[in-house]
Amino acid sequence: MALAPRLIAEFQSLVGRENVVDSPHDLRIFERDASITPAVPDLVVLPRTRQEVQGVMRLAAAHGVPVVPRGAGTGLSGGAVALEHGIALQFTRMRSILAIDRAAGTAMLEPGVVNADLQRAAARRGLFYAPDPSSQNACTIGGNVAENSGGPHCLFYGVTANHVLGVEVVLADGRCLWLGEEGPDRVGLDLLGAMVGSEGTLGVVTRIQVRLLPLPESVITIMAAFASIEEASHAVSAVIAGGVIPVALEMMDRTTIGAVEAHYKAGYPTDAGAVLLTEIQGIRESTAEVAAVIEATLRSHGTSQLRVAGDAAERDLLWAGRKGAIGALGHIKPNYYLHDGVVPRTRLPGVLRDVGEIARRHRLPVANVFHAGDGNLHPNLLFDLREPGIMERVESAGEEMMWAVVEAGGTLSGEHGIGIEKNAFMPWIFSPDDLEAMRALKDVFDPQGRLNPGKIFPDPERPPRLRAHIGTASEANWW
Amino acid sequence: MGMGGEPERTDLILETGGLNRLLELSSADLTLTVEAGIPLAELQGELEKEGQFLPLDPYHEPGHSIGGVLASGWTGPLRLAYGGPRDYLLGLKVALPDGRVTRSGGKVVKNVSGYDLKKLHLGALGSLGVIVEASFKVFPRPAAEVTLRWTGSELGAALAEARRALAAAQPPIALVLESTPSDYLLSARLAGWPRAIGRMSAELGWEEIDPDFWRTHQMAGSDAWARISVPPARLDEVLPALPVGGWACSVGVGSVQWFAARQREMVEDVRRRAEAAGGHLVLLQAAPDLKQAVGPWGAMSSDPALMASVRQAFDPNRTMAPGRFVV
Repeated sequence: MALAPRLIAEFQSLVGRENVVDSPHDLRIFERDASITPAVPDLVVLPRTRQEVQGVMRLAAAHGVPVVPRGAGTGLSGGAVALEHGIALQFTRMRSILAIDRAAGTAMLEPGVVNADLQRAAARRGLFYAPDPSSQNACTIGGNVAENSGGPHCLFYGVTANHVLGVEVVLADGRCLWLGEEGPDRVGLDLLGAMVGSEGTLGVVTRIQVRLLPLPESVITIMAAFASIEEASHAVSAVIAGGVIPVALEMMDRTTIGAVEAHYKAGYPTDAGAVLLTEIQGIRESTAEVAAVIEATLRSHGTSQLRVAGDAAERDLLWAGRKGAIGALGHIKPNYYLHDGVVPRTRLPGVLRDVGEIARRHRLPVANVFHAGDGNLHPNLLFDLREPGIMERVESAGEEMMWAVVEAGGTLSGEHGIGIEKNAFMPWIFSPDDLEAMRALKDVFDPQGRLNPGKIFPDPERPPRLRAHIGTASEANWW
Repeated sequence: MGMGGEPERTDLILETGGLNRLLELSSADLTLTVEAGIPLAELQGELEKEGQFLPLDPYHEPGHSIGGVLASGWTGPLRLAYGGPRDYLLGLKVALPDGRVTRSGGKVVKNVSGYDLKKLHLGALGSLGVIVEASFKVFPRPAAEVTLRWTGSELGAALAEARRALAAAQPPIALVLESTPSDYLLSARLAGWPRAIGRMSAELGWEEIDPDFWRTHQMAGSDAWARISVPPARLDEVLPALPVGGWACSVGVGSVQWFAARQREMVEDVRRRAEAAGGHLVLLQAAPDLKQAVGPWGAMSSDPALMASVRQAFDPNRTMAPGRFVV
């Protein structure tokens, strides 16, 4: 339902006419993120300050209008999609790095700061920000906070929640609060802990304080090829079980390698069944030892070819290939459905076998490119949307894969979020009481249910049919 | 347990000691699930058999149950390298005040499914429900360890030396500054590969001491015990106000255990300084009249009304030790 012109005028006077998008043609630009379900917002508002955000929230509250905060729209679970229309609160105008404190190892950011821009600014000071999603050239820290994003290096360093010291958040009624501490212990409830990863459903974050770490002295990046996914996944399990943990441990299968090499020519062997990309960081004396132990484990688990990156350029190219994999898959098919389950590492070989078998049975190519060290799978179903009846097979295959993950003791999402995409499946892993407890928290923060409605919680009106991720792979050039 | 305010009423004391089983230990997956009443020391003993550990070393050990440590929010020197339970707790099962049992998180090391409710129970002193089960990510024991000691007579020099140690290319996994009646002691716990430790020891230049130091240090506690928490860079605003002797500070964390927090004016003064530095002073153990006079908690971290609403959503009848927690 469109907003009344008088109401639109009020938003325009709050933030300035040039910071409001209301033409139907322009609104279409904001109907998607990197997931499937499109929905056009009634209005897009681009605030420049926290005070403007408060004004927008108060006005929206007074008129019962839904609000969906939006960063770069790179999310894979539908987090930024205005499912029930209303206002898309677009943070492009709030993308400044406000301060970096080198001595304290902290930074204060506006939510629209692009992850890679933060990395560059930190690196100039000898620091880095650990959560590095593959979409980092586009995704924003605000979006990372909403989804509790991960990335390859979170195997060792942890996810976004481990690196956020505090957030300034505007609540549904327009109140503004700071959640979090710069010191070690809080007095009271960990509301920051509940806010990070809440997918924009509990509040709108307007400022973020993050922890930065010193850049490591030594980095060793190793690429190891295996004859099959099965062998590679046994090697992953062995590395973790060996108790010598690298900072990243990624896997790509033959399908992925083919697409990556066609585009990046990063040096991955195209005849391998699977490759592992692993990285070790620390002081020289430490990385040499860790690399030796991990190399020995990989070799004793059948690696056919092992290469250590000789310099930063070679390492960067290997990572570019890994992080560009999803986009590169556009060579194979124009559309993709990217999953995000997590299983215990010891269950990886079995679940990957299941994934392959499910894909074969549905006659769909699947590309595996994922954070093997965490047990965080990303099976990617490849297809052409124009093929008649294809969605039925894609959705069915996806549903079976998620079930295999849950049956192996896993969870629905390791980093992409539940959003619209997986909310129907929450009852697979949470009891009605578990979901009720989450509801109770939601009701405290957003009694009217206007903040990013339709996300996370199962919708009784939408039957549990899997919503596939039809992105166009060629658009996904940031990962 | 002496933490928090006096409960308005106590009709029933629920002891969790009977929930003491280790439910699942997957050393290959580096995960562990236990019932909340299991003693922390017992849990560590089981992990040690696998060459693993939980980097949770609260003071006044042994004796804590894992649920108690989670609910009280107590941590120790290893927090410097490993963070606190917030950073390695994977899942929590809680019995809500109305008897329903709910789960948050799971048993895998990455999980963004649903709200991260488990964090709300950490440090909440059971106000939102009784922790009955917890799943953790566990860690491999380091290949080798060494403990080094520096002794000095001046606080400023001790802090500077501590920060020099923390700025090393591979910092210690724990670093404690202790004030004794006669001097200041720094103890640094270096861990990792032998050659790495060799290099960092040489760069630090301190003398080696018996690593059993940490075990005895962890036993520290007192009946007049305050925990001060400030951003690490601002310890300089608080430490000089503490009386000499009877405190230990994890310099890189910003946390001070003050074991001689007896005198009202002094406690109030230190709390004022801590709060001005963006931190807190909380009484962990105190004589009733001191607690009454200064309050156990001091300034709150978040909006009291919002916290009260969250508490009310989980404990509408104020069943769980009302008056003990901040809301």
